[in-house]
Amino acid sequence: MSLLEVQELNVWFDLASGGELHAVQGVSFELDAGERFGLVGESGCGKTTAILALMGLLPPNASVAGQVLLEGEDVLARGERTVAPHRWRDVAMVFQGAMNAFNPVKRIGEQIVEPMELHGVAQGREARRQAGELLERVGIPAERAARYPHEFSGGMRQRAAIAMALACQPKILLADEPTTALDVMVQAQILELLVALAHDFGLALVLVTHDLPVVAQVCDRAAVMYAGEIVEAGPTDALFHEPRHPYTRLLFAATPDLYGEEPVASIPGTPPRLDRPIVGCPFRPRCDRAFAPCGDVHPPLKAVAPARVAACHLNDVPEAVAS
Amino acid sequence: MSGTDYVVKRTVFALMTLLVAITLNFVIFRAAPGDATSSLAKCRNCTPAFREALREELGLDKPKLEQYWIYLKDLGRGDLGDSFVSRQPVWEELKQPILNTLPMVGLGYLISIVLGVLVGVLAAWRRGTLLDWGGVSTALFFYSMPQQWLGLMLLIFLGGTLPASGVSDPFISFLDPSWWEVVLDRLEHMILPSLTLGLVLYGQYALIVRSSMLEALGEDYIMTARAKGLSGWAIVRKHALRTSLLPIATLVALTFGYIIGGDILVEAVFSYPGIGLATYEAVFDRDYPVLQGAFLLLTFSVILANFVADLLYFKLDPRISG
Amino acid sequence: MTSTAPILTDEPPPLHAPPPRRRPLVWTVVRSQPQATVGALVLLAFVVVAVLAPVIAPYDPREKVGAVFEPPSSEHWLGLDDGGFDMLSLMIHGARVSLIVGFAAALVAMLVGGTVGLLAGYFGGKTDTVLMRLTDYFIVIPDIPLMLVVAAVWGRSLTNIILIIGLIYWTTTARVIRSQVLSVRERVYVQRTRALGAGHRRILFRHVLPQVAPLLVAITVLSVAVAIFAETAIAFLGLGDPTLISWGKLIENAFSRSAISVDAWWAIVPPGLAVVAVVLACTMLGRSLEDTLNPRLRVGHLSVNRFRMRRAEGEQ
Repeated sequence: MSLLEVQELNVWFDLASGGELHAVQGVSFELDAGERFGLVGESGCGKTTAILALMGLLPPNASVAGQVLLEGEDVLARGERTVAPHRWRDVAMVFQGAMNAFNPVKRIGEQIVEPMELHGVAQGREARRQAGELLERVGIPAERAARYPHEFSGGMRQRAAIAMALACQPKILLADEPTTALDVMVQAQILELLVALAHDFGLALVLVTHDLPVVAQVCDRAAVMYAGEIVEAGPTDALFHEPRHPYTRLLFAATPDLYGEEPVASIPGTPPRLDRPIVGCPFRPRCDRAFAPCGDVHPPLKAVAPARVAACHLNDVPEAVAS
Repeated sequence: MSGTDYVVKRTVFALMTLLVAITLNFVIFRAAPGDATSSLAKCRNCTPAFREALREELGLDKPKLEQYWIYLKDLGRGDLGDSFVSRQPVWEELKQPILNTLPMVGLGYLISIVLGVLVGVLAAWRRGTLLDWGGVSTALFFYSMPQQWLGLMLLIFLGGTLPASGVSDPFISFLDPSWWEVVLDRLEHMILPSLTLGLVLYGQYALIVRSSMLEALGEDYIMTARAKGLSGWAIVRKHALRTSLLPIATLVALTFGYIIGGDILVEAVFSYPGIGLATYEAVFDRDYPVLQGAFLLLTFSVILANFVADLLYFKLDPRISG
Repeated sequence: MTSTAPILTDEPPPLHAPPPRRRPLVWTVVRSQPQATVGALVLLAFVVVAVLAPVIAPYDPREKVGAVFEPPSSEHWLGLDDGGFDMLSLMIHGARVSLIVGFAAALVAMLVGGTVGLLAGYFGGKTDTVLMRLTDYFIVIPDIPLMLVVAAVWGRSLTNIILIIGLIYWTTTARVIRSQVLSVRERVYVQRTRALGAGHRRILFRHVLPQVAPLLVAITVLSVAVAIFAETAIAFLGLGDPTLISWGKLIENAFSRSAISVDAWWAIVPPGLAVVAVVLACTMLGRSLEDTLNPRLRVGHLSVNRFRMRRAEGEQ
């Protein structure tokens, strides 16, 4: 049994205009203990929504369908009641732009201690000692626990946020764009820290990012999302060297080469609107390999190789390989 | 900005505002068509000679600039002049009314803050529900009422059960009351005027608390708190409330001017012998020195309230004081 | 790697099912701005009543038509007041003065506040500092006491009352307009106009003013509510024009002639309710206009409320 199993996850948002936005469309993936998994895509592709959904953190105008099995238990079965006890205890999170992840009028230490006391991990003096230890572990002197968030630099705040995520020794750490808005040097340090901590604490890590090289560097396996669905998933190496969906290929081509030699090519066009049903392949208008069936038939996600899935009609045509 | 800088800046601002108010007070009264003696109601039948004597006594025969200087010097000594009606120093006339008003306005504030915070927080917490809609509309409704009219409405509904006028029962002293009977009696007399002030004001607080609460609830750290497993109410209490109550500290002071205005109307309705009623009667009697003195004292209290709020805000928000 | 040039670039692509049919414009406005619509309709109704007062009032409001404090009846829907005058007719005529004071004082506030805001925002620098400091001082001084003092000293004609109210409530207008002008001023075409040598007057009236005018209207609508409120306060404190009938005067009358002690609620309730209705209407209209024109931070992608689970999903 996998540690985490997401099955046919769907999220809709009610729009003020009366319509509905189908932000996540039947996403499924699995995560084993200690595994490092990447969820990649452009902004607005539903990757953040998907991981917020599996912690039950969506706003009231969202409705969710599907199953999220945490060690076999369907945590979304009865909404808030079933998911709340698992938050931070089993699944913790590091948010996009940790600048604002801390309450500005409370001390950093207080905010790390808060979940420990809430979930009965430790109380009072002991909780404060553990918080100090965690801060030291991420490279912040323990006595800084008494400081306010605005007294920390961006990188330090992100480290503190990671320390806070580890407060209840969770099994899974969801990291949503943990390095955006940080400068390059700090980015690398934070990524190293995440990998080291995942290893030391035996954490399963889900890294959500638009940055493919980051995924390639950190994750064992990854899934690529486009327009609310997973269009390709598999081992990171395989995705990188032999993509089976044009979007994956173009995404790799669009990210700057590590040595900055090749010119950067961005993918022309924009993702489709998700407030109306889509006919055919959602990627078709931006695809450089689109052909007849792409206009009418939505390509299903199916196995294309051992441990690999992709959703592209090209995989059905023997002579034309997606790459 | 350093702490001292901030305090110095706010102090200078408070003092400057005070000077503007003092000057305004002078200008309004001295630049009026005619002068104080010509429109002095009680002096309609005075002889020209008496008028002249009065002008001299009030210093109205001197040049305007000199008058201003004398006025400032008198103020510096705490001398607000003498009442036209009672010939007593204005300060003596206003002392007791102020002591009567303070607890009544305090109670009114308490009612409005408690109601306002409660309604605002609940409305934000249950945004989009019937509770939210009902709370906001009720608040807006009370907020749109002329205060004197709300006072009269309360008189219609509650005038039979609660004392409708005065500050205490005139016969209570004959009963040889214990101290708590006196307090209870005073409190009973305060309820209607305080309730009027509180009801009119709470709407504004409720709306502000609601919107700053919603703003706070939209912050990223609220998401963190939810992810940590805090329940809805715990999030409100531990994270959103503190930040969203910051504006209340300022608002309480900013609305002090409003409550002072309401105080005049409400004390008139309930014949509550406070500074508001004294102002109202001074207008009625055209007792300018009392009117001037009351205006200055009221303005001074508002400036002081604003100043205190500035300092309070400074203390409460680590982002400023840090 | 291979070329990234797309083969298909038809725009917009027939990617989606056709969008739903469009609704008529009026319906769209009413639907998107229900508050503004209700506010505008209520306000309009009161204005019509005020304009047509002599035609629709059932009696002459200054003619004794029955016994003192006669309760409501089929002839006198709102009963009679302390002088035996018809309350409904008094209310209808009172709408005139109350609305005139409201609109005229709001106009004065608009002129003063608008001018201060325009000049401070447009010229900036020292002008801005001086004008805004002045505004800050005025904001702190309590309004009703100031109004009282001025009205007591300067007399109680209708014009005076309008001027007094208008000259006290201009501060909000000045502040909001200033910040709006600040942002307009920096837009390219104003700078370009300046570069082309247009004078300040021309830029202010031809380019800046039209940009801030809608917001100015929104704030003025809000000031109408404040001014009507202020009128009732002045009238209640006995400083209104004694010859005119206004809602404020009617409340004052009911109070000073002890309508309460004879339980004549019909003499007290209607004028207050009328004020509440107009003030609410102005607030609703003004707020929604202001929100549309001057969008503040849009709040709340999150809240502590919970998401919903969807049971049977009909896949489209």
